[in-house]
Amino acid sequence: MTSDGLAVSLEGVTKRFGKRAAVSSLDLDVPRGVIYGLLGPNGSGKTTTIRMIMGILHPDEGSVSLFGGDPDETRRTHVGYLPEERGVYKKMKCLELVVFLAEIRGIPRDEGRRRTLGWLERLGLTEWADKKVEDLSKGMQQKIQFIGTVIHEPELLILDEPFSGLDPINQDVLEQIVLDFRAKGTTVLFSTHLMDHAERLCERVCLISRSRKVLDGKLAEIKARERKGVVAVEFVGPDRWLQGPEIARVEKVNGGLNLILAEGADHQAILRRGVEAGVEILRFDLVEPRLHEIFVRHAGTDAVGDAGTPSYQSAEVR
Amino acid sequence: MWNNVKAVIRREYLQRVRSRWFIFATVAAPLIMTGMVVFPIWLQTRSQRGSNEIVVIDATKVLTERLLPDLEDGGWKPRVEPWSDDAVDELSARVEDGTLGGFVVLDDSTLRTGQATFYTSDRPSPLRQLTLRTAVSRAALGYALDQSGVDATTMLRGGDLDVRVLSESGTSAGEPRFAVAYFGAFFLYMVILLYAVAVMRATLEEKTSRIVEVVISSMKPWHLMLGKILGVGAVSLTQLAVWIGAGVLMATAGIPSLLTARPDLAGLADLRDVLPGAGLLALFVGFFVCGFFMYSGLYASVGAMVSTDEEAQQAQFPLVMFLIVPIVLVMWVIQHPGTPAAIALSLFPLFTPILMWARVAGGGVPGWQVGLSFVLMLLAIVAIAWVAGRIYKVGILMTGKRPTLPELVRWVREA
Repeated sequence: MTSDGLAVSLEGVTKRFGKRAAVSSLDLDVPRGVIYGLLGPNGSGKTTTIRMIMGILHPDEGSVSLFGGDPDETRRTHVGYLPEERGVYKKMKCLELVVFLAEIRGIPRDEGRRRTLGWLERLGLTEWADKKVEDLSKGMQQKIQFIGTVIHEPELLILDEPFSGLDPINQDVLEQIVLDFRAKGTTVLFSTHLMDHAERLCERVCLISRSRKVLDGKLAEIKARERKGVVAVEFVGPDRWLQGPEIARVEKVNGGLNLILAEGADHQAILRRGVEAGVEILRFDLVEPRLHEIFVRHAGTDAVGDAGTPSYQSAEVR
Repeated sequence: MWNNVKAVIRREYLQRVRSRWFIFATVAAPLIMTGMVVFPIWLQTRSQRGSNEIVVIDATKVLTERLLPDLEDGGWKPRVEPWSDDAVDELSARVEDGTLGGFVVLDDSTLRTGQATFYTSDRPSPLRQLTLRTAVSRAALGYALDQSGVDATTMLRGGDLDVRVLSESGTSAGEPRFAVAYFGAFFLYMVILLYAVAVMRATLEEKTSRIVEVVISSMKPWHLMLGKILGVGAVSLTQLAVWIGAGVLMATAGIPSLLTARPDLAGLADLRDVLPGAGLLALFVGFFVCGFFMYSGLYASVGAMVSTDEEAQQAQFPLVMFLIVPIVLVMWVIQHPGTPAAIALSLFPLFTPILMWARVAGGGVPGWQVGLSFVLMLLAIVAIAWVAGRIYKVGILMTGKRPTLPELVRWVREA
């Protein structure tokens, strides 16, 4: 397989800690220029995967390639990496910290200072430039760390749970920045267990659960594939037509019903039965599942308690 | 690559040099040390100022003229009063009512034995007693020598002794060189440990805060370690330079001008004999630099292999032993510098900074041994850098429990 167009490629990667496998036979391809979401419940192996891409951990089996080669420090210099655990030099002044992070990636100090001041202004931190990092709030420290991640305008951004710890306003700011980088052609790989962000941002996702990949691909295709299964209906008339082998369960939602179909059921058969029964059908929609539901469906019991409420109650009725 | 290392050095150096602690330690330490030496002398001088004025009564009539210049050199303010039979009673009354500091009585026994009587209200310090006693005995001796036709002035000036050491012999406590050797060794122990531990703490802090994962993503671990060590090393040399500079300034300018302004502080002059010369200072810095590189490499690898302060405390214990053992031995080595055991111990690189320093400062170590010790230390630095660099590389990104010894060996092999 050629990896010219790939920013990151993992082949059959396994990583064990003691007897427990953190990542099992994982294949993963991140094409250049996309926003790629690495999704999964806590403890599913997202961070381990990212740490292997960054060369911090070495896989027990399989191979990792970054920009088509070994993840050595030359290639890693073109990556902006935001670790899950927020590390900063607390005693440093904000401006100096970012200038230092730029300097070790080959940005001259003057240029680094100029860029940092630009970013501080964009994120509303200008007045904090000469304050020590430890004097900032957690959220502000995280923003400083993010600036340090992108200051060298990397070709690839790897962000491990970038949204956790930020308030909704700053989550939006961060989303916008990620989209801006995408527009400039930067590849973005981020991990999250918060499906809302993934849904809004990602073109491709990989869902892992219990150390294994459950599904991956383009988000739109995954959604199309997963569309079968839930039909939102509104109708006037008796509901006997809703009894059939195709329908596993019926849930009441505001102003209508959600039909959860049985495995492999043909929704057309239900519609036909309704028409034959003379029911006035106001609405018969195949509900496009939200990523959240797909996540819950595939991550299964792993996700309970981690990723939100594992039910269809939140399904929208359009 | 070098730019990376430079960035790390610059960060480490500026962070530390700007810290309040550094400024305090650098400025305050020499002040406190100077104060500890000067203050007691000053206090002593001060308490004696009132009692400086003494009266000399001379029953022999021949000693006064020889005695007065020596007394004045010693900081006394002598005045001569004529001898009479009731002079002692009368002067005693003046001492008791505080109008006189004291008086010295010279008589025939002074001429024979150099013994005189000093009446005073406060017991004078040993130093003051010494100046008085020396002055009296010199006067008596000078008179006796003149009587027998010897040029007493030249004789008493002391002549010049040409010292030739035929075989190495130990330096005993009490000699100025002993103090230089002993306190120098102790000082080396302190600064090497201080800065090596600083490297360990910095490494551990980077590791636990995980910033190291970001830094390592753009540079080789070995370069980060090198930058850290060089950065902290530059800080330590800055501090040493300030301290040594302050010391040199005090010795060459401070003490002489102080002595000119305040002849009564004559006690300070002795201090200059104790201070090491330029060659010894250069050796001191050399021993420190080599010792720092050896120990900071080892300490960096300890900082990389542990995850908490408590673990670091335990893991550094074997290293501290390598510094404590020579400190325990240093007294013996100073006293027996030429023994095969002392030579062998001082050539063991991890002991060299402290023990070789002690021998050199004590005096009489052949140049080849000093040269050899530096060669061995340089080899040790290379070996330590190789091993420690490998442990550091694996350890700095490792989380979880501290590695066992076999695991460490595997890290070194596989890294």
